[in-house]
Amino acid sequence: MPTKTVKVDYIARVEGESSLKLKIRDGLVEDVRLSIFEPPRFFEALLRGRKFSEVLDIVARICGICPIAYQMSAVAAIENLLGIEVDGPIHALRRLLYCGEWIESHSLHIAMLHAPDFLGYPDAMAMARDHGDAVQRALALKKTGNALLRLLGGREIHPVNVRVGGFYRVPSRAEFEPIVEPLKQACDLAIQTLRWVATFPFPDCTRDYEFVALRHPDEYPMNRGRIVSSAGLDIAPAEYETEFLERQVPYSTALHSVLKQRGAYLVGPMARYALNRGRLPPDICALADEVGLEPVCRNPFRSILVRAVEVIFACGEALRLIENYKRPARPFEPAEPRAGVGYGCTEAPRGILYHRYRLDAEGTIEAASLVPPTSQNQGIIEEDVRQVAAASLDLPEDALQAACEQSIRNHDPCISCAAHFLTLHVDRT
Amino acid sequence: MTGDSRTGFLVIGVGNSDRGDDGIGPAVISRLRGRLPAGVSAIECRGDMLELIDEWKGLTGVVVIDAMAPRSRAGRIERLDLSSASLPAEFARHSTHTFGLAQTVEIARSLNRLPRHLIAYLIKSERFDIGAPLSPAVAAVVDTVADRVLAELFRLLATGGAEGFPGIGGAAE
Repeated sequence: MPTKTVKVDYIARVEGESSLKLKIRDGLVEDVRLSIFEPPRFFEALLRGRKFSEVLDIVARICGICPIAYQMSAVAAIENLLGIEVDGPIHALRRLLYCGEWIESHSLHIAMLHAPDFLGYPDAMAMARDHGDAVQRALALKKTGNALLRLLGGREIHPVNVRVGGFYRVPSRAEFEPIVEPLKQACDLAIQTLRWVATFPFPDCTRDYEFVALRHPDEYPMNRGRIVSSAGLDIAPAEYETEFLERQVPYSTALHSVLKQRGAYLVGPMARYALNRGRLPPDICALADEVGLEPVCRNPFRSILVRAVEVIFACGEALRLIENYKRPARPFEPAEPRAGVGYGCTEAPRGILYHRYRLDAEGTIEAASLVPPTSQNQGIIEEDVRQVAAASLDLPEDALQAACEQSIRNHDPCISCAAHFLTLHVDRT
Repeated sequence: MTGDSRTGFLVIGVGNSDRGDDGIGPAVISRLRGRLPAGVSAIECRGDMLELIDEWKGLTGVVVIDAMAPRSRAGRIERLDLSSASLPAEFARHSTHTFGLAQTVEIARSLNRLPRHLIAYLIKSERFDIGAPLSPAVAAVVDTVADRVLAELFRLLATGGAEGFPGIGGAAE
């Protein structure tokens, strides 16, 4: 029987190291394996025995692209356990910090990693020669996002200012002034970016995803909300593990997450947008309508449009939060340790990020579980590749490979994040 | 990105001091503190190299110090003039950064945002372990790299940048 194997030994333009193996037999796609060979980094084990107050600085090291997401989910989980309710200006500042991360992460992916796929360039360097304006816009947007991270997080790489109960230090209103004008410019640049990506040629593709995202009654979700899905799931973060399961696959150092009842599901911008479009301001919905972005987008290649919409939203939301900011009387609520289990789930740029911590009475971590969005999307990514490959089997080998790689990059996987999860069993006899 | 305010000449130490030989850039910057001639700034870049495109825009001369693989002949110093030539492929792989020096330089070149003179000092490295110090072989060349960078800067300042950096092309020791 004729068998063809397509191997992509190193998937470019994703964060981290991974490969793809596609097996085709008798003209049918028989097997798709997205292998993550980024070495496991054992963060969950590393957290055991550390104090709850150390967690935020440790988890910020997991990812250089989305450290805020790790801090936000961790702090939400620990505050859930300690009974601390964060609202008012502290909540606003954390949301503002998340805006910075969404802006810088999405802008990097849109222009530097994903756009070359649509325009036929091997990478951003080649694309920059012909689309310099678009790259300059992305650099300016990324710089503005990084400036928010520096202001609120202390630095843009592995930020250090978030603490349980609030922040170590909160800025004055005056400290925001230098960033207001760049944010206003960023809004315009983000709108230009949306209109630019809307001109891309999008392959026909419709996928019947179960979307999973946070939903909050008052806001487009970032730091809080219930976990909902397009199939009717509606649970608190504390119920995550009753509905979702992480399982090992032999070919990857990352765990795969599934819904116990229904299998693979999608998290990330497409899911967030599909489940929360009603929480976006009307002017942003109007921009989405203007470029033809449907209220529920099921074509993964069009995820770039959703990211672009979210960048516009994050820029505008940041300005709104700054405008309404009143410096709190104290930067944090005191946190007293107690024994128990806490759960947190927030919206990383790539989708929901779930954390669970068990503390003893002195506040020492006894157990930690971290489920990043890329682990959750791996099943969907493999299904996407299977569908795209099945429709592309007649293409030359390099075009087939490009189509498969593009379908992976549709979901902006962060391989470094996904490879933190390996349970080590020691069998002693 | 941490360091002094920008002037016409800039030295950039790329890397993470907590990742073994990746810390060579910051280590050289540390050696240069207090020794830089007037008109020269120094910064560390711990990760996001794309921001360098904005940092060096419009400057006359920039020297970048970074660690490089392959992990052989640790401590060997490669000097490359990137003002008009790309980083050779053998130097462009295995960056620990999302966008490494090679990609950042080429994007800047495409955007016409390179400084007038751009020199890279790349130090072959052998360890990038979390929490590790510089390997002995790389630690041994920190002073040498700092001295060579200083010599370049003094010469360039003497000519006002008109003659560019000396020794165009690669040179190793």
